[in-house]
Amino acid sequence: MKRSKLAFWGFVGPSLFAFSLVVIIPLLVGIYYSFTDWNGIRSQVNFVGLTNYLDIFKDEGFVQAFIFTTKFTIASVISINIMGFSLALLVTRKLKISNALRTIFFMPNLIGGLILGFIWQFIFTKGFATLGELTGQRWLLGWLSNQETGFWGMVILMAWQMSGYLMVIYVAAIQNIPKELVEAAQIDGANAWERTKHIIFPLVRPAFTVSLFLTLSNSFKLYDQNLSLTGGGPANSTQMIAMNIYNTAFKFNEMGVAQAKAVVFFLVIGVITISQVYITKKSEVEM
Amino acid sequence: MKLKGKLLLILSLLIVSALMLVGCGSKESKQAADQVTVDIFQFKVEAKDALESAVAEYMKENPNVKINVQTVGGGDDYGAALKSKFASGQEPAIMNMGGMQDVKDWIEKLEDLSDQPWVDKAFNGTLEAVTADGKIYGMPFAQEGYGFIYNKSIFEKAGIDADSIKSFDALQAAVKKLDAKKDELGLKAVISFPAKETWVTGLHLSNAAFANEFSDVVEAFNAKTIDFKYADAFKKLIDLQANYGYKPDGTKGSLNAVDYSTQVEELFALEQVAITQQGNWAYGSIAGIDEEVAKNIGFLPIPVVGAKEDSIPVGIPMYWAVNNGKDESVKDAAKDFLNWLYTSEKGKQMIIHDFKFIPPFKGYEGENLEPTDPLARDILKYSNQDRTMPWVFMGYPTGWGMDKLGADIQSYLAGDLSWNQLVENAKTTWAESRK
Repeated sequence: MKRSKLAFWGFVGPSLFAFSLVVIIPLLVGIYYSFTDWNGIRSQVNFVGLTNYLDIFKDEGFVQAFIFTTKFTIASVISINIMGFSLALLVTRKLKISNALRTIFFMPNLIGGLILGFIWQFIFTKGFATLGELTGQRWLLGWLSNQETGFWGMVILMAWQMSGYLMVIYVAAIQNIPKELVEAAQIDGANAWERTKHIIFPLVRPAFTVSLFLTLSNSFKLYDQNLSLTGGGPANSTQMIAMNIYNTAFKFNEMGVAQAKAVVFFLVIGVITISQVYITKKSEVEM
Repeated sequence: MKLKGKLLLILSLLIVSALMLVGCGSKESKQAADQVTVDIFQFKVEAKDALESAVAEYMKENPNVKINVQTVGGGDDYGAALKSKFASGQEPAIMNMGGMQDVKDWIEKLEDLSDQPWVDKAFNGTLEAVTADGKIYGMPFAQEGYGFIYNKSIFEKAGIDADSIKSFDALQAAVKKLDAKKDELGLKAVISFPAKETWVTGLHLSNAAFANEFSDVVEAFNAKTIDFKYADAFKKLIDLQANYGYKPDGTKGSLNAVDYSTQVEELFALEQVAITQQGNWAYGSIAGIDEEVAKNIGFLPIPVVGAKEDSIPVGIPMYWAVNNGKDESVKDAAKDFLNWLYTSEKGKQMIIHDFKFIPPFKGYEGENLEPTDPLARDILKYSNQDRTMPWVFMGYPTGWGMDKLGADIQSYLAGDLSWNQLVENAKTTWAESRK
């Protein structure tokens, strides 16, 4: 008994130590600062109770960022998962180039978010503009200069980056499906769509749970792509919550308010992702 | 046996993790007792190489001082990085302060520099922004100025005398003349107007209006409210640039996608526009694209109708400050280095030729101490003719100029906000931040 306890703490201890050092302690300190009027610099810190929490709901910028982030999350969760799943179906067919395709589709995920943002900024503002001028398609001009194009720009960028990653998860799930099941269905006369719908879909449900969780939380917390692609502009209309919090803390020097926003944000993400995992887990099927 | 193996494993894991942690903490190498180390944490990316060679020069003369330079570029990034430096305990000895708000925020960390020899060499009006309770907390970095940069050869071809442009009407007439000859001159548009860069619109351009409402940065900093007296003149400046500006898809809203590099490096340096609003720091970017164009440029004033119409804003963008939490020996070395850099003969040469700064101090009269680039020379010309206005945007409430006014200008250009509403918003948001 004693022995396994020792082994348990021997393995858990170091990572628990690191985890509390970089996650738990900062979280607690952050919650503490959310009740103060600290500006990030002063050594004197005053306790102000719940004022910060009341202030953030009066902050139009925060509310707007919240709405924008929610819309973005919905659009990108749907687009990333559909693309990831379609790519996975494509590369699990027995094609000669499917290994090469897997590498190519996964590649964007290896580029850092900031750099991707700058690359796509160039594509949207320069590449699209040139194409638009050549073909006379006016909708290709002036991208990222308003909220609408900024929004779709970010959705496209994230779908391009993340779908390769989800493809890998879905590929693993699809390959785990026993061949017999698919073959049996085929013999029974099910066509490709019916096989996908009735066999592959239900059996990759666990992968759906993971993928939905990843895309949901990643899209909500997005910062670097937002910063480098649109910088929150124009007129702060494409500012997402993470950027709003960062700006409050470091541009406006309101560390207390920013921490309060971060705590609210943390709770919202927690509630949404946990209930998502709970709901999708319930409808998973066992083989 | 089994138990021993596991224990060994645990022990080695613990040792490894402990070593890793220790490794993180013991970066600082040991120093000889009389050796002084000064860490500089600075913001001006363009001056990085020049500063590093100046530091090497200084260390040659003072072998007991070791100076490390670290550079983090961009306004916001620097402020956040400096805060995390202090929070993590790796406080620099020399850092940059942006002006009144920074001094107010950081005052308990700043060393009083009033007794320094360079103080009486500073130009009038350069130290007010870093003075609090009669003490001086910052040393001016350099003088900078901005206005409408124009391409002299295009103006010549169009037959416009740039020196005669000393009013808004004259500027508008010149712009219209250029617009009429656009195709002949090979221009895409007359002006490049970067509405995406809210510091250009919300800080620099709006400064023209507020520099005439407030007499200096201190008054702006202490103002609880604004009248926005020159809102109409400000609107004229924006409309002129928007109407004759390069618009990616032809609508004014698309001006919000024009950024600094499109404005300066693409449109202006490639001679696709004739006029653009920027400062002398843009010289490097333009020269990097086309040396010939860069030699042939100058400043037109930013004319504010009803107030100064022949002036450009000139001011101090940044200040050096010394951290008062350091040992006396470190602080002395830090102060001595700054003083040496701006007042010694060698230092002056470097300020002019390597840093390419417009010196913020007197005593740079020598023949080979003239600024080398045409924009800096133009700024000196304006200064000597007394055709300058102060930089008051550094007295705006924190974040107001870029994130409130600049963002509203973007909405105005996109047609989502009326001008009257913009003016109202500016008044209320200013008052709110100064409550």
